[in-house]
Amino acid sequence: MNRYRLVHTTEFVYDGPVSESYNEVRLRPLHDERQSCLSFRLTTNPGSRGTAYRDAHGNWVHQFNVLPEHQRLKVEAESVVLAHEASDAPADPTTLAEFDSRSHQLDEEYFDFMAPTGYVPHLACIKEIVEVAERASGGTVAGFAQAAADLIHQRFRYVKGATHVHSSIEDSLSIGAGVCQDFAHLLLGVVRMRGIPGRYVSGYLVPGSTAAPDAKQEDVIGGQASHAWAEVLMPNTGWMGFDPTLGKPVGLRHVRIAYGRDYGDVAPVRGVYKGHAGQSLSVDVRVRPAIDDAGCEQLNKITVGNVPPPSVLERPQQPAQQQQQQ
Amino acid sequence: MVKSGLFEGYDTGSFYDEMFSAPGQPRPHYAKLFQKLAAMAPGQFEERRRLADLSFLIQGITFTVYSDGRGTERLFPFDLIPRILPQSEWERIDRGLSQRVVALNLFLQDVYGKQSIFKDRQIPRWLVYSCPNFRREVIGVEVSRGIYTHICGIDLVRDSKSGDFYVLEDNVRTPSGISYVLENRLVMTRTLPDAFQACEVLPVNHYPAELARILRSLSPRGEDGAQIVLLTPGIHNSAYFEHSFLAQQMGIQLVEGRDLIVDGGIVYTKTIRGLKRVDVIYRRVDDEFLDPLTFRADSILGVPGLMGAYRAGNVALANAVGNGVADDKAIYSFVPTFIRYYLGEEPILKTVPTYLCANPGDLSYVLEHLAELVVKAVGESGGYGMLMGPAADRAKIEEFRERIRANPRNYIAQHVVPLSRVPSYDPSTGSVAGRHVDLRPYCLYDGEKVTIVPGGLTRVALQHDSMVVNSSQGGGSKDTWVLRGEG
Repeated sequence: MNRYRLVHTTEFVYDGPVSESYNEVRLRPLHDERQSCLSFRLTTNPGSRGTAYRDAHGNWVHQFNVLPEHQRLKVEAESVVLAHEASDAPADPTTLAEFDSRSHQLDEEYFDFMAPTGYVPHLACIKEIVEVAERASGGTVAGFAQAAADLIHQRFRYVKGATHVHSSIEDSLSIGAGVCQDFAHLLLGVVRMRGIPGRYVSGYLVPGSTAAPDAKQEDVIGGQASHAWAEVLMPNTGWMGFDPTLGKPVGLRHVRIAYGRDYGDVAPVRGVYKGHAGQSLSVDVRVRPAIDDAGCEQLNKITVGNVPPPSVLERPQQPAQQQQQQ
Repeated sequence: MVKSGLFEGYDTGSFYDEMFSAPGQPRPHYAKLFQKLAAMAPGQFEERRRLADLSFLIQGITFTVYSDGRGTERLFPFDLIPRILPQSEWERIDRGLSQRVVALNLFLQDVYGKQSIFKDRQIPRWLVYSCPNFRREVIGVEVSRGIYTHICGIDLVRDSKSGDFYVLEDNVRTPSGISYVLENRLVMTRTLPDAFQACEVLPVNHYPAELARILRSLSPRGEDGAQIVLLTPGIHNSAYFEHSFLAQQMGIQLVEGRDLIVDGGIVYTKTIRGLKRVDVIYRRVDDEFLDPLTFRADSILGVPGLMGAYRAGNVALANAVGNGVADDKAIYSFVPTFIRYYLGEEPILKTVPTYLCANPGDLSYVLEHLAELVVKAVGESGGYGMLMGPAADRAKIEEFRERIRANPRNYIAQHVVPLSRVPSYDPSTGSVAGRHVDLRPYCLYDGEKVTIVPGGLTRVALQHDSMVVNSSQGGGSKDTWVLRGEG
């Protein structure tokens, strides 16, 4: 089974009234040669008005606002995705030595996926992982990326709550633990330090039991399907996924939503609102096999009646909480 | 023997003097002014100067200095002796600036669009992508009428050695200072009316009308009834006077972020009669504060959702978002390349040779010669983040050495250009002495032609021997006269 219906629900609950909530979501799965996004529907409660665009990396972004007072905000993204069978093409045989001789050309084209970022700063202490991965690489770029992903999988403990949504790799390096967001960033840190372009992938990991109903029940790491991993550039065959959290190949169960330099480029939901109230965020992702192949994309036809004018009370502007990719 | 009054004993020093070709020998375009000023009775000039200062004070024409802990509004010191340019010289500057503005606009269209300049290897992508003010958020956004650089202030200096004008830096984000050009002219005509009338000076007062015309042309709903506002960060901004002045001159509403609201990708102003749609925003708020949803979440100066409206083409912003990549001081050294690449022309104006600390070869040279160089942070303006090597003490030089080593991409260096001087009045001595000047003309671009009000703001370093003319660093200004003809 490689056709999934995904329902990603994000709910903000505030302690008191808030208003003028503006949000930007990256929740629509990619539609490309590796997966088809057969339908996508975004709804909000309260209802909202919005616009959509594609960002610099080609990801779909939806922006919407809720002006009137509200005490909770629910954002529900429902998509149907068909994951394509991978081709049987052999792994990219490019050796690290060949790669190095061409690297100046890649530097130019893939600057964004090589340069340090806020989440993935250039840290000298990663050098050791780079060296160990290089010795275990068998001399190829693909081997290097695999060895780096394996090393991270072995050396770092998966501990929920060890880090937070704004943690850089410095945090997980110092405590030896993290969640998938950190693991993906660590892998990017290692390959980028080796001079190989890497990009962050935000997506879903479909639980094994759903992907293969007859297969034996498998724990979903993190307990929910929202997931992150990394892709590394293979000089001849293009981007290839590596999942240092799962420690297994990236395949039909990995549904991709967005690419970026790091989490900051692809946060599933981000926003600001006005209000004094505290907030709590809950996220739920449900995946089930899609039986019907419901047609084309249908965006929520947002219907808003008479929007009452925003409250005249001055409320401070606050950033909305963000979900860490676990 | 000509009576030289005020200019008795004036020393042109070893610099290019804008007024005198030799001691006691005014240049032809200064001859009439020289006669008028030299003929003044002792004390008369001082009296006129006080009147001019009073006039600025009464009108509340001030600016704020950030680095000074006192944080007070100050008068922008005004020097009564104007900087004069003959028409032929100005026309060459006008052509050179127009060429530059068009090339900068094409560069911005390209880096946020097709990016052909990278494919054609005219500038390395890393240099552009590593600019602190390069905004990935606007890649692929179609701006109204393809215009990014509606308003540019381009700083020129005259090199004392060659006598040639050089471009020192481009300001294509939110350049300020035009209000002083307009006010200086007004005060000048009142304070020295006979001198002004004796010279045929080209007018500057059409600037607000021209700017308003361009802003109106950007309206996504057509020009008729286009609602235009000027977005200011507020009263604490150093240029707040200018914001209110320009809004008033153009007859448009002056707003702060909290006066605007976005709903469903449309921008509105809040009025007592309800929401009113906004079509064009002349924004004087920096990119990163414009929209807390897209840029800094902690910004309270901006308008949440504004970028969504901009991206959807429902509102036009002037200047465009992301322009900071074009006036980055490392990109500066590539502007001649842009002119050749996009326009197929040779640059009319010269640029100062620049060392990019991001290049290892340049970096080691810069670190070895810090005491002779001017070092600038690439994304800063207003004279902030700058080292004047020859005037700096050892501690300051060492501080910059560390800063450059820590982040080489953030710095460039140039040899000091010995700026030309204009005689300027020193109230503490009651005499006239040479002071260094630059020139910032204001260029308006409507997508077809560049309009530059003749002259611009002449900034003057009022301290003896100083070459830093920025108002934030203790500079003042002069009226700039472009003559009809050669004087």
